[in-house]
Amino acid sequence: MMDKILFLPILMPLVLAAAIFVIPEKLRRAKEAMAVFAALMNLAVAIVLFKGNIILSLPWLGKGLEFSLRLYNFSSFIIAATAGFGFLITLYSIMFMRGKEYARQFYAYLLISISLVNGAVLADNLLAMLFFWEGLLLTVFAMIAIGGQFAFKAATKALIIVGITDLCMMAGIALTGHLAHTLTISKISLPLDALGSVAFVLLIIGAISKAGSMPFHSWIPDASTEAPLPFMAFLPAALEKLLGIYLLARICLDMFKLAPDSGMSIMLMVIGVVTILLAVMMALIQKDYKRLLSYHAISQVGYMILGIGTAVPAGIAGGLFHMINHAIYKSGLFLTAGAVEKQAGSTDLNKLGGLGRKMPVTFICFIICAASISGVPPFNGFFSKELVYDGALERGNLFYILAVLGSFFTAASFLKLGHAAFLGKSSRENEKVKEAPLPMLLPMVVIASVCILFGVYNALPLNGLIQPIIGTIRLNGHNFAGFPPNTMLVIITLVVLAAALLNHLFGAKAGGSGIKAADHIYHAPVLSTIYEKAEKRIFDPYNIGLKVVGIFSKIAWRLDRGVDWLYDTAAPKLAGISSRAILKLHSGSYSKYLVWSLLGMLIVIIFLTHSV
Amino acid sequence: MLITLDIVILILMILAALWAVMTRSLLRSGIALALTSAILSVLMFKLNAPLAAVFELSVCTGLISVLFISTISLTQPLSYEEIIKHMKDRFRRFRYLPVIVILAGIGLSFVKVRPNLILPPPETETNVRNILWNFRSLDMVGQVIVLLCGVFGVVILFKERVKK
Amino acid sequence: MFLLFILLPLFSLIVLNLPFRAMMKKAAFWWLLVLLALQVYLAIGYVFGFFGFDLNAPIYPLSFSLNVDNFGCVALLSTAVVLGAVLLAAKYIIKEEEKLFNFISLLFIILAGSNGLALTTDIFSLYIFIEITTVASFILISFDKEKLVLEAVFKYIILSAVATVLMLLSIALFLLVSGKTDFSAIHAVLINSPHSLIVMFATGVFICALFIKGGLMPFHGWLPDVYSSAPAPVSALLAGIITKLVGIFTLMRLLVSVVNFDNPIRQVILFVGALSVVAGALAAAGQSDFKRMLAYSSISQVGYIVLGLGAGNALGIMGALFHLFNHSVFKSSLFINSAAIELQAGTRDMNKLGGLSAKMPVTSTTCLISSLSTAGMPPLAGFWSKLIIVLALWASGNYGYAALAVIAGILTLAYFISMQRRVFFGNIKEEFAGIKEPGFGLLLPACLLSAITIGLGLVFPFCLKLLKF
Repeated sequence: MMDKILFLPILMPLVLAAAIFVIPEKLRRAKEAMAVFAALMNLAVAIVLFKGNIILSLPWLGKGLEFSLRLYNFSSFIIAATAGFGFLITLYSIMFMRGKEYARQFYAYLLISISLVNGAVLADNLLAMLFFWEGLLLTVFAMIAIGGQFAFKAATKALIIVGITDLCMMAGIALTGHLAHTLTISKISLPLDALGSVAFVLLIIGAISKAGSMPFHSWIPDASTEAPLPFMAFLPAALEKLLGIYLLARICLDMFKLAPDSGMSIMLMVIGVVTILLAVMMALIQKDYKRLLSYHAISQVGYMILGIGTAVPAGIAGGLFHMINHAIYKSGLFLTAGAVEKQAGSTDLNKLGGLGRKMPVTFICFIICAASISGVPPFNGFFSKELVYDGALERGNLFYILAVLGSFFTAASFLKLGHAAFLGKSSRENEKVKEAPLPMLLPMVVIASVCILFGVYNALPLNGLIQPIIGTIRLNGHNFAGFPPNTMLVIITLVVLAAALLNHLFGAKAGGSGIKAADHIYHAPVLSTIYEKAEKRIFDPYNIGLKVVGIFSKIAWRLDRGVDWLYDTAAPKLAGISSRAILKLHSGSYSKYLVWSLLGMLIVIIFLTHSV
Repeated sequence: MLITLDIVILILMILAALWAVMTRSLLRSGIALALTSAILSVLMFKLNAPLAAVFELSVCTGLISVLFISTISLTQPLSYEEIIKHMKDRFRRFRYLPVIVILAGIGLSFVKVRPNLILPPPETETNVRNILWNFRSLDMVGQVIVLLCGVFGVVILFKERVKK
Repeated sequence: MFLLFILLPLFSLIVLNLPFRAMMKKAAFWWLLVLLALQVYLAIGYVFGFFGFDLNAPIYPLSFSLNVDNFGCVALLSTAVVLGAVLLAAKYIIKEEEKLFNFISLLFIILAGSNGLALTTDIFSLYIFIEITTVASFILISFDKEKLVLEAVFKYIILSAVATVLMLLSIALFLLVSGKTDFSAIHAVLINSPHSLIVMFATGVFICALFIKGGLMPFHGWLPDVYSSAPAPVSALLAGIITKLVGIFTLMRLLVSVVNFDNPIRQVILFVGALSVVAGALAAAGQSDFKRMLAYSSISQVGYIVLGLGAGNALGIMGALFHLFNHSVFKSSLFINSAAIELQAGTRDMNKLGGLSAKMPVTSTTCLISSLSTAGMPPLAGFWSKLIIVLALWASGNYGYAALAVIAGILTLAYFISMQRRVFFGNIKEEFAGIKEPGFGLLLPACLLSAITIGLGLVFPFCLKLLKF
């Protein structure tokens, strides 16, 4: 009976989401109260289940396809993190969603997403996990699409990109199941031989696309401007990273034996590095607060993938730690963007400015989170990035250098963002801006404090959460808590950060304002052409894919016309001709009918008797 | 000798039937029908089934012909021109009939039949009553129903005319 | 005991026509309903074993050659259902009491005849009851005495007379060969001399006679004219009972219980069935008169039943039997709907009708349900029977015929949907703007029959026992 409690994190949010749908429109406060209550309940359940170790297995479809859920340290950790974020975001959304007509759907979808994530994380059977994973497709689509009339296109883009990668993942699951003869995750352990590599690649395509790495990333910036902001703070920032990296970790650590010098590892690291750099370059030139943040979200995933791809203990620990850290500070950053959007009415950087004086708490939280993401000590981002650098360095200098370069650009772009939005002169329409209301401030403050906490007291997450996940065998005696041992790395990081600051000051003076701080990079010789093309979305794999699909669809259309002609014209004409012919035969003269009958009889009799 | 007599009677019956179909006057058709039944009953007498012959004679020649002739008397005869117009091509209409008959005859002559026919014993009077009441009681019920049906039919179909 | 099924209607008829007719007229309707309900109850009860005692025990001192088996029960059941629907429809359509009373008397005769047909075990009695039913139907068809009807019924009489003569010829031959007229006796003899020329000849003639009576191509000439010009409840009666029982049920009896059902006969039946299915469907597709289209559709569906028979295995016969019952139900419902439309809109021409579903929603719905059941759409009853027939054809190796049945099913769906669209959907024309639903008396049988179709479709998998024999 104890194991049935594992149904609770999955079913309870679903049921409460259904309740939200049912609550009549008039009781608006009731909706919000229900949403908060649901998130709180979920948090409570998560805390209860934390660090538990329960396995639930129900026969489902037979033949090894059971519905098995497994609560162990990793999954309970993710559930707790999800619940925590869910609660904070829900609290935040109360103020943000007030007055918007899609509020009810938003709360419901949010709860459903929590439920689905819980299910996907708990699932121990690949098929069950796939079931929950796919469900997230729908809630992502729904939550983007309710944002407005242009949101539908962005939602469709998200659906298609993530859907295609989910298909790859399905193929991967099928192949894995075939190779391992079981679909239970905790029992799978495959070597990376030829077929195993194929399965591995297919599976991680699904995982990293969910996390939002390149080249599956192009829906996130589009969604960021269209979808309601708490969605951005919750899903792409927190949930999807948690879920995607969770699966990636399980694939690399549990299901396949990822060795440090295998081709797969190098591939992962390359993907990670490419993601870091390309995304952060794009982020530099953005002029919208939310789009900028979304590119950063993509970029940071690169660090996680790089970390796990190194397959050394430091790197893996770094990757996992970065996952939780990123979730924390990225959602914090998005929350500040939301506060700005709600109070100042826009997120266009050209229109913002000087908000630091008017929204001090928001500004401070922004500083803390931005410092975390840039890797400034003693915040949490610094420690996780150091671990990732450590691991990357062990694998190769090139990776390390590129990662540090990414860090440089990250810092530069956040300096630009902070300067443009919060410093400088405030324009006239921003005169009346006040600080955000309390329910919105509270989550930001909580998150900022956790940033500090995880940074300063990093033994708590590392020893308590991350290292048990990796397991003592793999850790090989390392202990990553406390200040990073390799002081050389720390010094290099600090130098890079200082360089970023100098770069920013130079650019700001050259451009005249905070926004233009990155323009000198924008207009650099090779980079400017690339940037132009990127702005036109030529490099967007989604658009390229659409063009190819367009050719196919033209061919299919021609085929379809042909088949249509066959059905619409040829067959009915044929039927019509024969029908008329038959009707002509029925002349009404009974003697003719009699003749038919007798003729028929004659034929029948001859047929019957000729063989005798 | 007996066989040829049967064939002569059969040919006579067919001729009478042909006359019933081809003749111009409806009344003569009815009479020809009665004649056909009479010849048939003669044949039945010859085949040693006296009771069947008696039934055939009384029902078909008697009752049916009376019914037909009384019905015909209710109708209005067509005028002479109409009769001519209707019947002028009657020979042409049935021109295929002899052809078919001859062909059928030739065809049948190729057929070699070895029938295992069990001829039931010729019935006597008491036997008939036995058969009708005991073995074929269901059929008697059926006959009653058919008779009732006929009566009803006539009543229903003709009652309104009388009223009018 | 089942003899009462025949005797009761007979006696009721006699009694009801005695003096005190004023009181009898009202009683007639209700008494017939009671009898029909009793018949339904007994038929279902017999099959499911409600009754503990043997219902076939003869009543002393009369011994009748009657036997009830599951075959017969299906026939009894479908007779009762269709007669009930026709009775209710007739009560609504025929307004004068005198005419209604005559109609009901004739219905009693048909009831007696059909029951006898279903229950008998003797080939000559079979012939007599066929004749009863046929003659009663002659009178029923010409009930209204219009010129068009009389011409149609005249054709029917001629063709039916030819069929009767052929039947009699074949019975005589069977009697000559076997010496008795009992089903089992003839069967015993025929098994032993299967390929004798006379036997084959007699079988062929009998089958052709039944084809003529049942309205299969190319022996069907009388059917479209009669169905379309007869008064509406009578068309339902014809389609539901008379063609079915007299033609097809007798064929089933013959093939299963009497004749040695081997390959040449099977080929003939398959071919005629397939021809009926296809030609009937094609002819129906080109019709613009609602009732005529239903007539051709009947030909097509009867072709399906015969196809099922032709498959030759137990599954096929079961499918044929089930389709027989189903067809009675939904075709009667369709004819009642056509009666409703004719009554309310005054025309049967589908090109002139249109958009009636807004004003006559119940009729439109029941028509849609019955059409879909005819076309074989799950989960209605027609789907199951067609599925069984196609499976039986496939199982017996007649792949071409099975494919043909499926394709013709598509054609059936096509013309029914086109009919539905032309008559019920679309925009309503001005002259029909004021019509309403017909009264309760017409809606009730249509709804009941549709309910039976749906219900049977849903519970069919649990009722397979009804059709095992």
